[in-house]
Amino acid sequence: MGITVQQVIFVCLAAIVLGAALFVVTTRNLFRGALMLALAFLGVAGFYVLLDLGLFAVAQVMIYIGAISILIIFSVMLTCGMQAMIPRNAQAGGVAILAALLFVLLALVFGPVRLTLDLTGVPLLSTLFRTETPRVVGDVPWRYNTQAVAETYISDFGRALVDINQFLLPFLLIAFLVDVVLAGAILIARQRKPAEVLAEQQEIAAEEAAEAAALRTAEGAPAMPSTAAATVADH
Amino acid sequence: MPTPNVINGIPLWWYLLVASGLFAIGLYGVLARKNAIAMLMGVELMLNSVNLNLLAFWRYLNPTSAAGMAFAAFVFVVAAAEAAVGLALIISVYRTLHSIDPEKLDQLKL
Repeated sequence: MGITVQQVIFVCLAAIVLGAALFVVTTRNLFRGALMLALAFLGVAGFYVLLDLGLFAVAQVMIYIGAISILIIFSVMLTCGMQAMIPRNAQAGGVAILAALLFVLLALVFGPVRLTLDLTGVPLLSTLFRTETPRVVGDVPWRYNTQAVAETYISDFGRALVDINQFLLPFLLIAFLVDVVLAGAILIARQRKPAEVLAEQQEIAAEEAAEAAALRTAEGAPAMPSTAAATVADH
Repeated sequence: MPTPNVINGIPLWWYLLVASGLFAIGLYGVLARKNAIAMLMGVELMLNSVNLNLLAFWRYLNPTSAAGMAFAAFVFVVAAAEAAVGLALIISVYRTLHSIDPEKLDQLKL
Protein backbone atom coordinates (compact mmCIF):
# COMPACT_ATOMS: atom_id res chain seq x y z
CA MET A 1 0.00 0.00 0.00
CA GLY A 2 1.77 3.11 -1.18
CA ILE A 3 1.32 6.60 0.08
CA THR A 4 -1.34 8.47 -1.83
CA VAL A 5 -1.34 12.16 -2.69
CA GLN A 6 -4.33 12.72 -0.41
CA GLN A 7 -2.46 11.25 2.54
CA VAL A 8 0.45 13.62 1.96
CA ILE A 9 -1.98 16.54 1.71
CA PHE A 10 -3.70 15.41 4.91
CA VAL A 11 -0.44 15.29 6.86
CA CYS A 12 0.57 18.75 5.56
CA LEU A 13 -2.84 20.16 6.49
CA ALA A 14 -2.65 18.59 9.94
CA ALA A 15 0.79 20.12 10.50
CA ILE A 16 -0.46 23.55 9.34
CA VAL A 17 -3.63 23.45 11.46
CA LEU A 18 -2.00 22.19 14.66
CA GLY A 19 1.04 24.43 14.26
CA ALA A 20 -1.10 27.52 13.66
CA ALA A 21 -3.34 26.61 16.61
CA LEU A 22 -0.31 26.21 18.89
CA PHE A 23 0.96 29.60 17.75
CA VAL A 24 -2.47 31.12 18.48
CA VAL A 25 -2.51 29.92 22.08
CA THR A 26 1.11 30.78 22.91
CA THR A 27 1.94 34.03 21.10
CA ARG A 28 2.50 37.34 22.86
CA ASN A 29 1.36 39.34 19.82
CA LEU A 30 -2.38 38.89 19.63
CA PHE A 31 -2.65 40.40 16.14
CA ARG A 32 -0.35 37.75 14.68
CA GLY A 33 -2.34 35.22 16.67
CA ALA A 34 -5.54 36.35 14.96
CA LEU A 35 -3.91 35.99 11.53
CA MET A 36 -2.67 32.50 12.44
CA LEU A 37 -6.20 31.67 13.61
CA ALA A 38 -7.40 32.47 10.08
CA LEU A 39 -4.73 30.09 8.75
CA ALA A 40 -5.97 27.33 11.07
CA PHE A 41 -9.53 27.93 9.82
CA LEU A 42 -8.26 27.62 6.25
CA GLY A 43 -6.60 24.32 7.07
CA VAL A 44 -9.86 22.97 8.47
CA ALA A 45 -11.54 24.02 5.21
CA GLY A 46 -8.90 21.88 3.47
CA PHE A 47 -9.99 18.92 5.59
CA TYR A 48 -13.56 19.47 4.42
CA VAL A 49 -12.35 19.33 0.82
CA LEU A 50 -10.63 16.02 1.59
CA LEU A 51 -13.96 14.77 2.98
CA ASP A 52 -15.59 15.63 -0.41
CA LEU A 53 -17.66 18.35 1.26
CA GLY A 54 -17.10 21.38 -0.92
CA LEU A 55 -20.16 23.13 0.51
CA PHE A 56 -18.71 23.13 4.02
CA ALA A 57 -15.27 24.17 2.80
CA VAL A 58 -16.86 27.23 1.17
CA ALA A 59 -19.00 27.90 4.25
CA GLN A 60 -15.90 27.61 6.45
CA VAL A 61 -14.02 30.16 4.35
CA MET A 62 -16.99 32.53 4.24
CA ILE A 63 -18.10 32.31 7.87
CA TYR A 64 -14.90 31.65 9.80
CA ILE A 65 -12.34 33.49 7.70
CA GLY A 66 -14.66 36.09 6.20
CA ALA A 67 -16.66 36.93 9.30
CA ILE A 68 -15.27 35.60 12.56
CA SER A 69 -11.58 36.22 11.84
CA ILE A 70 -12.34 39.75 10.69
CA LEU A 71 -14.40 40.38 13.83
CA ILE A 72 -11.57 39.10 16.01
CA ILE A 73 -8.94 41.16 14.16
CA PHE A 74 -11.04 44.31 14.56
CA SER A 75 -11.56 43.61 18.25
CA VAL A 76 -7.83 43.15 18.72
CA MET A 77 -7.25 46.50 17.03
CA LEU A 78 -9.99 48.23 19.05
CA THR A 79 -8.64 47.01 22.38
CA CYS A 80 -5.10 47.06 23.66
CA GLY A 81 -4.22 43.56 22.55
CA MET A 82 -1.71 44.50 19.89
CA GLN A 83 1.10 45.28 22.29
CA ALA A 84 3.10 42.50 23.85
CA MET A 85 0.98 40.99 26.58
CA ILE A 86 1.49 38.43 29.27
CA PRO A 87 0.72 35.27 27.32
CA ARG A 88 -0.45 33.01 30.14
CA ASN A 89 -1.90 33.13 33.61
CA ALA A 90 -0.84 31.42 36.82
CA GLN A 91 -2.69 28.18 36.17
CA ALA A 92 -1.12 27.62 32.71
CA GLY A 93 1.14 24.75 33.77
CA GLY A 94 -1.65 22.69 35.28
CA VAL A 95 -3.90 23.45 32.32
CA ALA A 96 -1.23 22.29 29.88
CA ILE A 97 -0.99 18.96 31.71
CA LEU A 98 -4.81 18.69 31.71
CA ALA A 99 -5.02 19.38 27.97
CA ALA A 100 -2.27 16.86 27.25
CA LEU A 101 -4.08 14.25 29.35
CA LEU A 102 -7.32 14.94 27.49
CA PHE A 103 -5.55 14.49 24.18
CA VAL A 104 -4.01 11.20 25.30
CA LEU A 105 -7.41 9.97 26.49
CA LEU A 106 -9.10 10.91 23.20
CA ALA A 107 -6.25 9.34 21.22
CA LEU A 108 -6.66 6.13 23.19
CA VAL A 109 -10.41 6.11 22.56
CA PHE A 110 -10.25 7.00 18.85
CA GLY A 111 -6.73 6.09 17.76
CA PRO A 112 -5.56 2.86 16.15
CA VAL A 113 -3.91 1.54 19.32
CA ARG A 114 -6.34 -0.49 21.39
CA LEU A 115 -5.92 -0.71 25.13
CA THR A 116 -5.37 -4.36 26.12
CA LEU A 117 -6.19 -3.85 29.79
CA ASP A 118 -9.28 -5.66 31.04
CA LEU A 119 -11.49 -2.82 32.22
CA THR A 120 -14.77 -4.68 32.75
CA GLY A 121 -16.40 -3.41 35.92
CA VAL A 122 -14.75 0.02 35.79
CA PRO A 123 -17.81 2.19 35.17
CA LEU A 124 -16.80 4.80 32.61
CA LEU A 125 -13.61 3.37 31.19
CA SER A 126 -15.11 -0.02 30.29
CA THR A 127 -17.56 1.65 27.90
CA LEU A 128 -14.89 3.90 26.37
CA PHE A 129 -12.07 1.42 25.86
CA ARG A 130 -13.43 -1.60 24.05
CA THR A 131 -11.32 -4.00 22.05
CA GLU A 132 -13.99 -5.31 19.68
CA THR A 133 -13.79 -4.96 15.91
CA PRO A 134 -15.70 -3.14 14.51
CA ARG A 135 -15.16 -0.51 17.11
CA VAL A 136 -17.89 0.04 19.70
CA VAL A 137 -18.28 3.29 21.61
CA GLY A 138 -20.96 3.12 24.25
CA ASP A 139 -23.26 0.43 22.90
CA VAL A 140 -23.30 1.54 19.27
CA PRO A 141 -20.96 -0.29 16.88
CA TRP A 142 -19.53 1.86 14.12
CA ARG A 143 -20.84 0.65 10.78
CA TYR A 144 -18.74 2.20 8.09
CA ASN A 145 -20.53 3.40 4.99
CA THR A 146 -17.86 4.90 2.77
CA GLN A 147 -19.94 5.26 -0.37
CA ALA A 148 -19.49 8.48 -2.30
CA VAL A 149 -21.51 11.49 -1.23
CA ALA A 150 -24.59 11.90 -3.43
CA GLU A 151 -24.03 14.40 -6.21
CA THR A 152 -27.17 16.24 -5.12
CA TYR A 153 -26.09 16.46 -1.48
CA ILE A 154 -26.36 20.24 -1.40
CA SER A 155 -29.95 20.34 -2.65
CA ASP A 156 -30.83 17.36 -0.41
CA PHE A 157 -29.44 19.30 2.52
CA GLY A 158 -31.41 22.40 1.54
CA ARG A 159 -34.62 20.40 1.28
CA ALA A 160 -33.99 18.70 4.63
CA LEU A 161 -33.62 22.12 6.27
CA VAL A 162 -37.08 23.26 5.16
CA ASP A 163 -38.78 19.87 5.53
CA ILE A 164 -41.28 19.87 8.37
CA ASN A 165 -40.43 16.23 9.12
CA GLN A 166 -36.70 16.91 9.35
CA PHE A 167 -35.03 20.14 10.39
CA LEU A 168 -37.54 22.94 9.83
CA LEU A 169 -38.03 23.68 13.54
CA PRO A 170 -34.32 23.78 14.44
CA PHE A 171 -33.73 25.86 11.31
CA LEU A 172 -36.33 28.44 12.38
CA LEU A 173 -35.02 28.44 15.95
CA ILE A 174 -31.46 29.04 14.76
CA ALA A 175 -32.68 31.86 12.50
CA PHE A 176 -34.43 33.43 15.49
CA LEU A 177 -31.26 32.99 17.56
CA VAL A 178 -29.20 34.83 14.95
CA ASP A 179 -31.72 37.69 14.85
CA VAL A 180 -31.70 38.10 18.62
CA VAL A 181 -27.93 37.78 18.80
CA LEU A 182 -27.32 40.45 16.17
CA ALA A 183 -29.67 42.88 17.90
CA GLY A 184 -28.06 42.06 21.26
CA ALA A 185 -24.53 42.49 19.95
CA ILE A 186 -25.39 45.90 18.51
CA LEU A 187 -27.07 46.91 21.78
CA ILE A 188 -24.11 45.81 23.89
CA ALA A 189 -21.34 47.29 21.75
CA ARG A 190 -23.19 50.52 20.90
CA GLN A 191 -21.24 53.70 21.53
CA ARG A 192 -23.56 55.79 23.67
CA LYS A 193 -24.05 59.49 23.02
CA PRO A 194 -22.09 61.80 25.36
CA ALA A 195 -25.32 63.48 26.54
CA GLU A 196 -26.74 60.10 27.53
CA VAL A 197 -23.59 59.18 29.44
CA LEU A 198 -23.59 62.60 31.15
CA ALA A 199 -27.22 62.22 32.22
CA GLU A 200 -26.50 58.77 33.61
CA GLN A 201 -23.47 60.04 35.51
CA GLN A 202 -25.51 62.87 37.01
CA GLU A 203 -28.19 60.38 38.00
CA ILE A 204 -25.60 58.19 39.72
CA ALA A 205 -24.08 61.20 41.45
CA ALA A 206 -27.51 62.31 42.69
CA GLU A 207 -28.23 58.83 43.98
CA GLU A 208 -24.89 58.73 45.78
CA ALA A 209 -25.53 62.11 47.33
CA ALA A 210 -28.97 60.98 48.51
CA GLU A 211 -27.44 57.82 49.96
CA ALA A 212 -24.77 59.79 51.77
CA ALA A 213 -27.40 62.15 53.16
CA ALA A 214 -29.47 59.21 54.40
CA LEU A 215 -26.37 57.74 56.03
CA ARG A 216 -25.61 61.05 57.74
CA THR A 217 -29.12 61.37 59.16
CA ALA A 218 -28.96 57.76 60.37
CA GLU A 219 -25.67 58.46 62.13
CA GLY A 220 -26.94 61.75 63.36
CA ALA A 221 -30.08 60.23 64.91
CA PRO A 222 -28.56 59.17 68.27
CA ALA A 223 -26.83 62.54 68.48
CA MET A 224 -30.18 64.30 68.09
CA PRO A 225 -31.09 64.58 71.79
CA SER A 226 -27.82 66.32 72.65
CA THR A 227 -28.33 68.88 69.87
CA ALA A 228 -31.92 69.30 71.05
CA ALA A 229 -30.63 69.80 74.58
CA ALA A 230 -28.11 72.34 73.28
CA THR A 231 -30.84 74.30 71.53
CA VAL A 232 -32.95 74.16 74.66
CA ALA A 233 -30.02 75.40 76.72
CA ASP A 234 -29.54 78.23 74.22
CA HIS A 235 -33.07 79.35 74.86
CA MET B 1 -4.09 -5.64 6.98
CA PRO B 2 -5.41 -2.99 4.61
CA THR B 3 -8.61 -1.61 6.02
CA PRO B 4 -11.40 -0.96 3.52
CA ASN B 5 -12.83 1.86 5.61
CA VAL B 6 -10.89 4.64 3.93
CA ILE B 7 -11.99 7.63 1.89
CA ASN B 8 -9.35 9.11 -0.44
CA GLY B 9 -6.88 6.77 1.26
CA ILE B 10 -7.48 8.26 4.69
CA PRO B 11 -8.94 6.28 7.60
CA LEU B 12 -11.42 7.92 9.97
CA TRP B 13 -9.11 7.96 12.99
CA TRP B 14 -6.72 10.40 11.30
CA TYR B 15 -9.46 13.03 11.36
CA LEU B 16 -10.44 12.13 14.91
CA LEU B 17 -6.84 12.43 16.07
CA VAL B 18 -6.34 15.85 14.44
CA ALA B 19 -9.66 17.04 15.90
CA SER B 20 -8.61 15.77 19.35
CA GLY B 21 -5.35 17.68 19.12
CA LEU B 22 -7.12 20.84 17.99
CA PHE B 23 -9.62 20.51 20.85
CA ALA B 24 -6.86 20.05 23.44
CA ILE B 25 -4.99 23.11 22.09
CA GLY B 26 -8.21 25.15 22.18
CA LEU B 27 -8.89 24.04 25.75
CA TYR B 28 -5.42 25.15 26.78
CA GLY B 29 -6.04 28.48 25.05
CA VAL B 30 -9.31 29.06 26.89
CA LEU B 31 -8.02 28.17 30.35
CA ALA B 32 -4.45 29.51 30.25
CA ARG B 33 -4.71 32.90 28.52
CA LYS B 34 -4.76 36.24 30.27
CA ASN B 35 -6.72 38.09 27.61
CA ALA B 36 -10.43 37.73 26.87
CA ILE B 37 -9.98 37.86 23.07
CA ALA B 38 -7.34 35.12 23.25
CA MET B 39 -9.80 33.03 25.27
CA LEU B 40 -12.44 33.51 22.56
CA MET B 41 -9.90 32.38 19.99
CA GLY B 42 -9.50 29.17 21.98
CA VAL B 43 -13.26 28.67 21.97
CA GLU B 44 -13.29 29.09 18.18
CA LEU B 45 -10.56 26.46 17.82
CA MET B 46 -12.57 24.04 19.96
CA LEU B 47 -15.75 24.65 17.93
CA ASN B 48 -13.77 24.02 14.74
CA SER B 49 -12.45 20.71 16.03
CA VAL B 50 -15.95 19.62 17.06
CA ASN B 51 -17.26 20.49 13.61
CA LEU B 52 -14.46 18.56 11.93
CA ASN B 53 -15.31 15.58 14.15
CA LEU B 54 -19.02 15.79 13.32
CA LEU B 55 -18.50 16.00 9.59
CA ALA B 56 -15.88 13.24 9.56
CA PHE B 57 -18.17 10.90 11.48
CA TRP B 58 -21.07 11.78 9.18
CA ARG B 59 -18.99 11.20 6.05
CA TYR B 60 -17.59 7.84 7.16
CA LEU B 61 -20.57 6.32 8.95
CA ASN B 62 -23.80 7.78 7.57
CA PRO B 63 -23.37 9.88 4.42
CA THR B 64 -26.89 9.18 3.15
CA SER B 65 -28.79 11.24 5.73
CA ALA B 66 -28.69 15.02 6.07
CA ALA B 67 -28.48 14.95 9.88
CA GLY B 68 -24.71 15.34 10.12
CA MET B 69 -24.69 18.28 7.74
CA ALA B 70 -27.54 19.95 9.63
CA PHE B 71 -25.67 19.57 12.94
CA ALA B 72 -22.50 21.01 11.45
CA ALA B 73 -24.38 23.93 9.88
CA PHE B 74 -26.01 24.76 13.21
CA VAL B 75 -22.62 24.66 14.93
CA PHE B 76 -21.37 27.15 12.31
CA VAL B 77 -24.25 29.51 13.04
CA VAL B 78 -23.92 29.25 16.81
CA ALA B 79 -20.16 29.85 16.54
CA ALA B 80 -20.78 33.03 14.55
CA ALA B 81 -23.39 34.21 17.07
CA GLU B 82 -21.08 33.43 19.99
CA ALA B 83 -18.24 35.39 18.40
CA ALA B 84 -20.48 38.41 17.72
CA VAL B 85 -21.86 38.63 21.26
CA GLY B 86 -18.55 37.75 22.91
CA LEU B 87 -16.61 40.41 21.05
CA ALA B 88 -19.35 43.01 21.65
CA LEU B 89 -19.13 42.25 25.38
CA ILE B 90 -15.34 42.50 25.31
CA ILE B 91 -15.45 45.89 23.57
CA SER B 92 -18.05 47.11 26.06
CA VAL B 93 -15.94 45.91 28.99
CA TYR B 94 -12.84 47.54 27.50
CA ARG B 95 -14.70 50.82 27.26
CA THR B 96 -15.58 50.82 30.96
CA LEU B 97 -12.51 49.19 32.52
CA HIS B 98 -9.78 49.93 29.90
CA SER B 99 -8.62 46.34 30.28
CA ILE B 100 -9.72 42.96 28.99
CA ASP B 101 -7.89 40.87 31.54
CA PRO B 102 -10.59 38.44 32.71
CA GLU B 103 -9.08 38.42 36.20
CA LYS B 104 -9.96 42.11 36.57
CA LEU B 105 -13.62 41.53 35.78
CA ASP B 106 -14.71 41.21 39.40
CA GLN B 107 -17.22 44.05 39.57
CA LEU B 108 -19.92 41.72 40.88
CA LYS B 109 -17.70 40.49 43.71
CA LEU B 110 -18.42 42.08 47.08
